[in-house]
Amino acid sequence: MKVSFFETARYCAPQALPSEWPVPSGAYDREAGARAYRDMIARLEYVEELGFDWVSVSEHHYSPRILTPSPIVSASFIAAHLKKIKIALLGPIVPQSNPVRVAEEIAMLDTLAQGRLVVGLLRGTTNEYLTYDLNPAEARERTDEGMELILKAWTEPQPFGWQGRHFQYRTISIWPRPLQEPHPPTYALGTSRESCDFAARNHLGCGVSYGSFEAVGRATRYYREQCARYGWEPTPEQIIYRANMLLAETDEEAEALLRQQPNQRPFTMRAGVSEALNKLDARNIAGEARAPIVSGALPTTFIGSADTVVEQVRRCRDVVGAGVLDLSLYPPGSSDLEALMRALELFGAKVLPRIRDI
Amino acid sequence: MSAPGADFREGYVEADGFRVRYLDAGHGAPLVHLHGAGGLRLTPAHDLLARRFRVVAFEMPGFGLSGENTKTRSMAELASTMARAAQALGLDTFNLMGTSFGGTTALWLALQAPERVPALVLEAPAAIRPEGSEPPSGSPEEMARRLYAHPERLPALPAVDPAVRAKTQALVQRLRGPGRDAGLEERLRKLPTPTLVLFGTLDGVIPPAMGRIYKDLIPGCHLVFVYDAGHAIGAERPQAFAEVVGDFVERHEAFVVSRAETVIHP
Repeated sequence: MKVSFFETARYCAPQALPSEWPVPSGAYDREAGARAYRDMIARLEYVEELGFDWVSVSEHHYSPRILTPSPIVSASFIAAHLKKIKIALLGPIVPQSNPVRVAEEIAMLDTLAQGRLVVGLLRGTTNEYLTYDLNPAEARERTDEGMELILKAWTEPQPFGWQGRHFQYRTISIWPRPLQEPHPPTYALGTSRESCDFAARNHLGCGVSYGSFEAVGRATRYYREQCARYGWEPTPEQIIYRANMLLAETDEEAEALLRQQPNQRPFTMRAGVSEALNKLDARNIAGEARAPIVSGALPTTFIGSADTVVEQVRRCRDVVGAGVLDLSLYPPGSSDLEALMRALELFGAKVLPRIRDI
Repeated sequence: MSAPGADFREGYVEADGFRVRYLDAGHGAPLVHLHGAGGLRLTPAHDLLARRFRVVAFEMPGFGLSGENTKTRSMAELASTMARAAQALGLDTFNLMGTSFGGTTALWLALQAPERVPALVLEAPAAIRPEGSEPPSGSPEEMARRLYAHPERLPALPAVDPAVRAKTQALVQRLRGPGRDAGLEERLRKLPTPTLVLFGTLDGVIPPAMGRIYKDLIPGCHLVFVYDAGHAIGAERPQAFAEVVGDFVERHEAFVVSRAETVIHP
């Protein structure tokens, strides 16, 4: 099992913040922001030292909860500060990006980082569509077309035009190309049938997140079936499972920690806004409908002492088939940095060495 | 292209002893408009909004063609007169749009009768102003320079009869209220109405930065800046203005969810 650390640039707010998304910029504390990024690098140096394989970053906007609106910027900064660890850019929200720009930036960063880049492409969480005024009803189509164009920009050796549905370019010919050939290891992120189909069709990996082993296992099973249909079989490393982990000395201690977490959904929006988004945005797990907006806190799927967690990882491998765990060792949004560092230490000492050969 | 307001019909209605003139066009949900300190002047934005709503633009007592108004003592009183005028037209509930001075009137009306106003739109509202801010006055050219970011792109403003100007200026000074009205602002904290506040980025009458105070005070407030427009947004960028106003009036807070289509080739 490979292990990735999901870095969210923990922002420790000096005073209580409004919970509604978007959070007013005026509530931002510049000094706290600078500290969050300083601490991020110090933490990741430790993560690298512990032997994590990847550090992952994501794209989220208008909120302190995950302070990385431009994952390409965080990935570049991290790549410049760390020497060995792979950087997983999970990833640009494709439907609201210029796909050619994404292809260029990733190619450039893969080259700058001497081929240490891993890429996840995705549709993004529903609230993010408000960020750049994206019509939720178009998000799926724009994602599929954008991802295909990114792959094409990386691989087509001749200048080419793109006469798409949503994107149109008369000529594309990117420089540099990615250092890794033909391009960095790339994943389509999401549990939807469309995302799994896309990944299978294009020989990409598949990344799933936060659901129970059984729920995300339905998606990865569907993904593997589709790969078989296209005549290939993904390696375990081509399935990423992102999840929350609460690790403690004992099971009881871990359960107590979980009870202390606020049961709040990650991005709270006004009722009329959520309702409108729900109407226009359709989501599914391997074809089975699910609500676009989660109603409570994201689940913690790994919880307990080291022994318990190692067993859970074993089950995850069996049920989900994941060969990469992308972990939040403490819920993103929590600003208890000391607890996070203790969890990291414990994970490095008692879990990591025991899940390598799972 | 015809002059703005060609499809509007003129009418009169009685309210609080005033004979109130109004211009009326379109079908659908009613959208009542209260004009700024310069009086009622239709813009291309009115025409665009009249394609989606029944637009009723009132001329408030004391402005334009109406007689001098020495009776109304406060903005709150003017607001209740305008609520009665709408009632007299059979409008029990109506979306309400106020421009500048009329934005203050509209705010008071919404505070007095929130159950009658499903949505409130404030175009460069004058309810909150920095010290020393004065409404535009002077020759048509001077007025245009205050009201518009790009006066050279718009038809010249008509000359104003000095007698009309004198009577309205006195009325505006009497009713417009202080730049910061602590009592009003306290009440805004409880305003239940979905409210859209618009400022042109080049507003030369009221600094667009006043917008954030409304956003801070009114619980259901949305703030939108209209790029490259001055104080008279509807006159200067009518399509941009009417699109966001129409969307907000129809969808309230859900207007943040885009429905724009980006298909180039189906």
